[in-house]
Amino acid sequence: MISLPIALPFVVLVLAALAAALGLRRTSVLVWVAAAALMLYSFAGHVTDPLRIAL
Amino acid sequence: MAALARALNALALAGVCGVMLFAFYWQIVRGELPCPLCLLQRAALLGAGLGLALNVRFGASESHYGVVIVSSLAGAAFAVRQILLHIVPDTGAYGSALLGYHLYTWALVAFVVLIAFAGVMLFIEAQFVEGVHALRPTAAAQALGWLFVLIVLANAVSTLLECGFGPCPDNPTGYELLQK
Repeated sequence: MISLPIALPFVVLVLAALAAALGLRRTSVLVWVAAAALMLYSFAGHVTDPLRIAL
Repeated sequence: MAALARALNALALAGVCGVMLFAFYWQIVRGELPCPLCLLQRAALLGAGLGLALNVRFGASESHYGVVIVSSLAGAAFAVRQILLHIVPDTGAYGSALLGYHLYTWALVAFVVLIAFAGVMLFIEAQFVEGVHALRPTAAAQALGWLFVLIVLANAVSTLLECGFGPCPDNPTGYELLQK
């Protein structure tokens, strides 16, 4: 699994927030979808580490 | 009713901005750098803030509340993961506690509150009658919107400085880009 820069979702969120501030509603929502996908991809790389919980 | 919904969304957005500013205080003044999971929680909170900002800027829409709920669900998953990593007593924790709970526990509380807020707001059907359109924002709403943009930008810059162009170490000790 390729590790993406963790800053990438933030950079994409900046674009989404700017689009919203500039009046581009649909663009903002679409860019947020990309940011959310990047967040979940980054998280997927983290959850492969096993939890060390004694049950 | 649309004006009330807009005011409540603005209030919630102000809350999100306040939480993010507090996170910066914790990072800069107290010197506790956010870990990768902490950063993902920040990103999710900003995503939820974006949904609120869209409601303030364009009027309420189901899809904007969808942005809030999906972002908050993702953020809650990140926070639960971090809580589970440290749930066993005497296995350590990340960062110091605030009022007895660590920041990732407070983050879970914040995400649950945001999901509940969006859920309750969706019951107010009258707010959707006017439909979405570029409302002429009040000066306060406009200022809040640009403050949110600045906070998102500050997070992007801070994360780039801390982690550079790769994944962050689990226990970051400094700003990677500033050390080179």
